[in-house]
Amino acid sequence: MLRRAVLQTFRQGLAQSFFKRYAVSLTETTVTHQPIETSDEAGEKSVPTQKTGDESGNTVVVAPPEFRFIYPEFLPDPAMERRNRLREKLERMDMLQRRSVIEIPEFYTGSIMAVTVADANSPNKFARFVGICIQRGGSGLRAWFILRNVVDKQGVEILYEMYCPLIQKIEVLRLERRLDESLLYLRDALPEYSTFPMDMEPERRLNNSVVPINPLKVKLRPRPWLERWERQNLQGVEDLNLPQRFYDRAEKVAKPWEKYDLMLHYRKTIPAEEQEKIFAEVHSQLQQQELKRKLRRRRGSDNEY
Amino acid sequence: MVFHKRRWLVRRLFFNHEQIRTMSRVKRRTTHPPYWHVLKNNQRTDEKISSDNLRFVQEVIQDKYKNKSPIKGSDLDIEKTEWDPKTKRSGVIARNIGVQHMWEKDGKKVICTVLHVLDNHVIRYVPPEEYAKSVIGAKMFKNRKPLGCLVVGAEASNPERFTRQYCSLFDEVGLLPKKRLARFIVTPNAALPPCTPLTAGHFVIGQAVDVYGKTIDYGFQGVVKRWGFKGGPASHGTTKFHRRGGTIGTGRDKARVWPGQKMPGHMGSERRFNRGLKIVRINMKYNIIYVKGTVPGPTNSIVQIFDTALPRRKFTEAPPHPTYFPPEDGTLPQEDIWDSSLHVFGSPSISV
Repeated sequence: MLRRAVLQTFRQGLAQSFFKRYAVSLTETTVTHQPIETSDEAGEKSVPTQKTGDESGNTVVVAPPEFRFIYPEFLPDPAMERRNRLREKLERMDMLQRRSVIEIPEFYTGSIMAVTVADANSPNKFARFVGICIQRGGSGLRAWFILRNVVDKQGVEILYEMYCPLIQKIEVLRLERRLDESLLYLRDALPEYSTFPMDMEPERRLNNSVVPINPLKVKLRPRPWLERWERQNLQGVEDLNLPQRFYDRAEKVAKPWEKYDLMLHYRKTIPAEEQEKIFAEVHSQLQQQELKRKLRRRRGSDNEY
Repeated sequence: MVFHKRRWLVRRLFFNHEQIRTMSRVKRRTTHPPYWHVLKNNQRTDEKISSDNLRFVQEVIQDKYKNKSPIKGSDLDIEKTEWDPKTKRSGVIARNIGVQHMWEKDGKKVICTVLHVLDNHVIRYVPPEEYAKSVIGAKMFKNRKPLGCLVVGAEASNPERFTRQYCSLFDEVGLLPKKRLARFIVTPNAALPPCTPLTAGHFVIGQAVDVYGKTIDYGFQGVVKRWGFKGGPASHGTTKFHRRGGTIGTGRDKARVWPGQKMPGHMGSERRFNRGLKIVRINMKYNIIYVKGTVPGPTNSIVQIFDTALPRRKFTEAPPHPTYFPPEDGTLPQEDIWDSSLHVFGSPSISV
């Protein structure tokens, strides 16, 4: 089942898998190492575990580096005042317990999803909502995502907590990424960019090893807007066509030194060594759960015939 | 009556000036321990010892404190005392390690504080007659029947960081010196012998507890954050009056500033009890208690947990008295115990 991969360091593997999975026409050359081989079965996105040896010669199991993109809520909140290793470990155990009951699939902002929740006020006690994921956040059991859709010419956004036990099913109808991490500008965009049919069918992808990036550029409605989009360096919107004074003011207000501020970025993220440890802890259980689900799906499809 | 949304900022709308005057002179915080405490932390920082002597010191420490086997219930000679509703049991020292969200069986989200019960051991028991002679005991039991006092320690650490006088407090029991000590007032029938371990099993699922802690230290804060004043307008020509207090007296009644007048000052780092918090989950393996609600103090601070003092939420049937001991026949207790109102994470999704 699991194939041996070439011995790589964590960071090398990270960069390489990043470029492989999120294939986009980049100007810089992609790293050309031996690619991580994925199995050919449809719907399977699991990657073989890499086994690195430490000094004593014992094999240390390391999770594949994609885990930090597929399961970002396993990483704790980086604020140092509120961190505690024991509590984070217990929270991760609870998260795995919940994941053993319901499948929380891989998704990104820009993916179109359908969520079914138990709702006492619905006619058949379940409410299903289809929408595009415009933002996701939180860590641990508080992880959430927002789905947006336009229903009867009314824009509707719903925030779902990923580990809430009222959620019956989360399906990803179209797995893709957009050019931005947060699609809040869809609130000021033309409504057709946020409209998705409620009875949309899940789309099957031919190439499972790469998550496509949709290079769509969205057209915004004329001003006034909810936020000053010209100050946010958005890639996924068309030219805003604003008077020059807006761009001048944006330049004055901008903080171009922030991208050089190493401590700022260090404080906002979990260090790579810790990420490795965290995912090494959880990956065996996650892989077992995936395997069980695949078997159930295959058995289910066999039973149809 | 003005409706204040942020209840935690408002103390009282109409307050009794007499009461405030007597309390405003009471010192609420000190940075030093009481005078009868021994010096705790080792003051000598740069002692030039050779590496051989250092190794010898560590050997001595290991010899002194080794061979501490876990104590079973039968080893200690605890008198078989009966529990009655007026019994006060010992409390427990724990660390507030953060907050976790859980869900009830109807889908409602609850915020639960995670409390990690540290390695508590009883250091000594002070009988009621002796405790009533101490400074605090005399004040507490001035006009009532005295109760005993259990000294409990938590978080064993390296003896090298403490002074000799502090380590000598633990010599009788032969334990590694503890970082944190606390006293719990107990009735004589709940007395425990020294060296008894206290764990998360001391508490019962569904019981109400009081948690004592020192609130978050905000430092010197202005009047808006400290007392919830509204300050002044942000614009419309206001000159230097955005977060100030405004008037501090009438000019007629008493013709001076009353004691207790709300002004900027040090906020936080005060003793507070959060009462009646319900225990919703106990993890016996890691000694963790999940308590519904929040406790005073920041994350990773030490708190003390007691059986509740609220009269309507006290025990109706006997809890583990005087404390919990794991079963003699070696059977492990249930690792994760949940309250019946909570949704267990491994169970199927809720359908209303």
